Amino acid sequence: MSDSENNQAFNYAASVDCIEQRPATERQITGQSPLHHADLGTVAQAQLGQTGTVQLTELKLLGHLILRGRLDNVGFTSGVKLTLGLELPGTLQMVVDGDISIRWISPDEWLVVVPGERSYEIEQALVNNVQGHCAVINASGGQTILRLQGEDVQKVLQKSVPLDVHPRSFPIGKVVTTVFAKTQAVISRTGDQQWELVIRRSFSDYVWLWLQDCSAEFKLVITEQ
Amino acid sequence: MAQQNRLIEGGRIARDSQINFSYNGKTYPGFVGDTLASAMLANGIDVVGRSFKYSRPRGIVAAGAEEPNAIMQLGATEATQVPNVRATQQELFAGLVCQATNGWPNVEFDMMASLGTVGASVMPPGFYYKTFMYPKSMWNTYEKFIRKAAGLGRSPLEADPDRYDHYNQHADVVIVGAGPAGLSAALEAGRSGARVIIADEQAEFGGALLHSKQSVNGMPAMDWVASVVAELAELDNVMMLPKSTVNGYHDHNFLTIHQRCTDHIADRAEKNQSRQRMHRVRTKWVVLASGAHERPLVFGNNDVPGCMLADAVSTYINRYAVVPGKKLVLMTTNDGGYQAAFDWHEAGREVVAILDTRSYQGTDTSAVIDRARELGIKVLTGSAVVEVQGAKRVSAVSIASLNSQGDQLAGPVSQLSCDTVASSGGWSPAIHLSCHTGSRPVWSDQVIGFIPGETVQKQLIAGAIGGTFDLQSCLAQGTRAGAEAANNAGFTVDATASGATAESVAETAPMALFHIPHPKETSRAPKQFVDFQNDVTAAGIELATREGFESIEHVKRYTALGFGTDQGKLGNINGMAIAAKSMQKTIPQTGTTIFRPNYTPVTFGAIAGRNCGELFDPKRFSAMHQWHLDHGALFEDVGNWKRPWYFPQPGESMQQSLERECLAVRDSAGVLDASTLGKIDIQGPDAREFLGRVYTNAWAKLAVGKCRYGLMCGEDGMVFDDGVTACLADNHFVMTTTTGGAARVLEWLEIYQQTEWPELEVYFNSVTDHWSTITVTGPNARKILDQVVDDIDLSNDAFKYMDWKAATVMGVPARIFRISFTGELSYEINVQANYGMRIWEAVMDKGAAYNLTPYGTETMHILRAEKGFIIAGQDTDGSVHPYDLGMGWAVSQKKPFSFIGKRGMAREDCVKEGRKQLVGLITADPKKVIPEGSQAVDDPKQSIPMTMLGHVTSSYYSACLGHSIAMAYIRNGHNRMGETVFYPQADGSAIEATICSPIFLDPKGERQNV
Repeated sequence: MSDSENNQAFNYAASVDCIEQRPATERQITGQSPLHHADLGTVAQAQLGQTGTVQLTELKLLGHLILRGRLDNVGFTSGVKLTLGLELPGTLQMVVDGDISIRWISPDEWLVVVPGERSYEIEQALVNNVQGHCAVINASGGQTILRLQGEDVQKVLQKSVPLDVHPRSFPIGKVVTTVFAKTQAVISRTGDQQWELVIRRSFSDYVWLWLQDCSAEFKLVITEQ
Repeated sequence: MAQQNRLIEGGRIARDSQINFSYNGKTYPGFVGDTLASAMLANGIDVVGRSFKYSRPRGIVAAGAEEPNAIMQLGATEATQVPNVRATQQELFAGLVCQATNGWPNVEFDMMASLGTVGASVMPPGFYYKTFMYPKSMWNTYEKFIRKAAGLGRSPLEADPDRYDHYNQHADVVIVGAGPAGLSAALEAGRSGARVIIADEQAEFGGALLHSKQSVNGMPAMDWVASVVAELAELDNVMMLPKSTVNGYHDHNFLTIHQRCTDHIADRAEKNQSRQRMHRVRTKWVVLASGAHERPLVFGNNDVPGCMLADAVSTYINRYAVVPGKKLVLMTTNDGGYQAAFDWHEAGREVVAILDTRSYQGTDTSAVIDRARELGIKVLTGSAVVEVQGAKRVSAVSIASLNSQGDQLAGPVSQLSCDTVASSGGWSPAIHLSCHTGSRPVWSDQVIGFIPGETVQKQLIAGAIGGTFDLQSCLAQGTRAGAEAANNAGFTVDATASGATAESVAETAPMALFHIPHPKETSRAPKQFVDFQNDVTAAGIELATREGFESIEHVKRYTALGFGTDQGKLGNINGMAIAAKSMQKTIPQTGTTIFRPNYTPVTFGAIAGRNCGELFDPKRFSAMHQWHLDHGALFEDVGNWKRPWYFPQPGESMQQSLERECLAVRDSAGVLDASTLGKIDIQGPDAREFLGRVYTNAWAKLAVGKCRYGLMCGEDGMVFDDGVTACLADNHFVMTTTTGGAARVLEWLEIYQQTEWPELEVYFNSVTDHWSTITVTGPNARKILDQVVDDIDLSNDAFKYMDWKAATVMGVPARIFRISFTGELSYEINVQANYGMRIWEAVMDKGAAYNLTPYGTETMHILRAEKGFIIAGQDTDGSVHPYDLGMGWAVSQKKPFSFIGKRGMAREDCVKEGRKQLVGLITADPKKVIPEGSQAVDDPKQSIPMTMLGHVTSSYYSACLGHSIAMAYIRNGHNRMGETVFYPQADGSAIEATICSPIFLDPKGERQNV
């Protein structure tokens, strides 16, 4: 028998250390995204106005919050609903509402992506609103999102991912965590020819090199948000 | 005369596109649409190589993948060399450069030839085993000789400049082969809407129809093929892959298809274009429509250039407009073989005779005999070629009558003059792929061949692979298989649609004949080749069975029948038939060997794909990596991470750098990028209990704000990882692991939580990449921290050793851990990684006044060794428990619940006297650094084998202490303090050392507590 079952008053918020991790706005400190060194901004400027068959945009410095919890824990699910206004998506599903999205990761894990400047406010709200055994983890510094768009993106993915990315098995709104080349990525289809990859910080340079290489036979264009 | 064998019209070649190619240094013309083989034959090139063992001249035998002789070394430059290319499969392109693979130094005059003719008697089958194994010491010499002479082609000496890549594909139905059966299947499955992939190794779809004069749906066969290809091209759900060989059929309907994208265009691919592509295909259903290979007959000197397969002759004439000779003798066991003679005749060259091995009663005849006689071609029934004359080209044949079983000659031998001998012994279904998945083929007397047996795969067969050789039946089977496969995959097929049709032809039954008898017994007759590529003869197989190799698998290995790149496409059935006959068994009793991937050779480039060069293995970088690069760091691989190893300054040796970095830390301050250490966020009401079960020490009373070091053991009680875990809040911890052990530890925790203790409420999440960790260490660490920390009291009273505090560092929120891996006053600043670089730079900036020195992993190793801190994986190897390490203080035997490893480390062997234990060493010569791995002995003069006491795990020169230090295992070492041991070295010397505590510096730990 665990504490949370015995103790109805078990208070999640009081049991964890949730801290602001971003500098105060007035300090005007900008972070460096995992692909900072690739200087995608300069490339994007140089390619301004071009259309590629593979268009890559880094959705950088967003808030990445991992949720862990069981669907039969109402204190957890209702707390998330209350905070985000969204139901937790089911297996392999992703939901988007404005600038907030939730990706299903595993049977007891979701990734909530929020605007960077609201990440602490939302993290705190989640921590305060959920009850029972669950966890909210800030992973914003550890990952970034690449948006890929264009007619050849599916081919790029076929070169990278053993999973079937054909629209029949990978419709819009689906998300998977899977092998990507020799690393891993959380891959979702967000449009007919639009995909998002959530990748880990330390592997981001490898993914960037890999994507450039895969796209060499197509037209790769970098764009900014 | 250029292209003397080319017909003035006909063939599927582009006569307006003449192109040149080079073979063995000489330039020849050909046409777009030729294969290298057809162009060579057009130019009258008879000899294309020398045989592997006997060095006999060899010519082109076949027109497809089964070609055993025309194995070329391709490539115009050193970097673009490709070995083992079959000339029959290589499309001709302008500027193609190739060389015969076999034949050293050249095919026309071969210095091996004399050895070959003599060597014939000294190289019986099994010669590897018999001759070259003894004396063993000579093997290296023999091997070099054999490899050179064997002519297996050579790999390029320069890096391949071309790109190769991989593609993952998914399908409902994959169809292997685009002949009449495969195309019918593709049409049916494609129309259903199923996702279909149809692959064929040839440049064009059509299979046997490419050189056929038959009709389908009342039109010339290739017109029908064109209409099918056009319809398939319109279907989005169908992918057509010509020039693509399905080389492997693996479990769970996973297939590997090797596509040659630009091999037909030029010596190398355009920039950014893949030369070859490996499709990794997963499919619901497979239709094998891979056809059949014609089987040659085995007779004396049947390898002399000019001996060909009957159907290959038709292919060269009809598809490439090349007649590979002037005077043809055709020998056949079946009606189909006649076609070669008809095509030869129609091409205007002389057919000397058709020898039909079948005996006909009285005035019996057949449609093909009647047709031949109408054309004025001599047909001799019940007859066969027993032997060929000629060296580099057939000049004549000896023929004789056969009895009706074909096992004895029934008449005298006579001669026919000719330059080409075509033979057809029937067709062997191309069952290779069906065998790849482990399915044993079954013999069919009706087919006179092996056909696919039962399979566990979701697989159907259609056409000649199942022994169906009649065109109408192939079309019908293909249509049925395509419909069934689509249906099985969940698609609806239009039941009213019917497949294409062709005229059925009545045939006389073929004769089961493989080996033509000779007036002499096999062992004395001229060589009768079964496997051309491996130089296996009928006599060799008979010898093998006489020597007791009765299993066909043994016969194969003894003789090399069907080995290597050949995979028995031409010779296997003949070989088995000869073995069976020699043992007085039937073929099904003898059985068959089976085939393994790959069906034809695959280049290493295609296997590697893009996983080469920079992309060979992911490199992981911390957020401060650019700074390290800018400041001249050399890097060490730790797992996939690139960690700074040390930061040499101009002119410094490695040792000088290490000493400078070490002394800076001991005298003032150093800084280390510790971001790569694994970090696991642990939350839940049972987090604390869980920690107590996976670590050896106690966690129940660790207060919020405190850190604790822990050892993690396997069930066997052996240490596998260690690290510091901090209590962030009542139910919230962050665990650090070794850099290389991070993934394994997380997995370990998950496995135990999910399988052993699911009742414990705890979640684990990796936050390794989320935090950047900057370790500032040294006597001046606090002064530097003071400069960058905005808001907390850093005094020893307010912020104690093994505490952590939340703080703001230059405006960025941080968690600072006061823990030490150097023994000095140390702070580990953790900030969200997006701010890692900024804070690192700020620390460097403020630390400059204190000579803050960046250091790498090597200096870290020395600093911690001075303190006797272990590195899991360097000082442990999975065979030491905490007590062996002298770390019993980190084991709590009093915890209410057990912990992982508790029982393991209590085993009899783990508690006995005399275990190897971790100790320190100080060398007699303070400058001498004992090489890591050195073994300790008590008496260096003891005769070998010496009694070994244990090895050195870590060894350095300590600039701070002024002498070398080492950590080592010594049997019963904890009780041998102060004793002397010796470390014998490879040069015969022995390094003397004294056993001591591994804590060399500040044993009371005062420096870290200031």
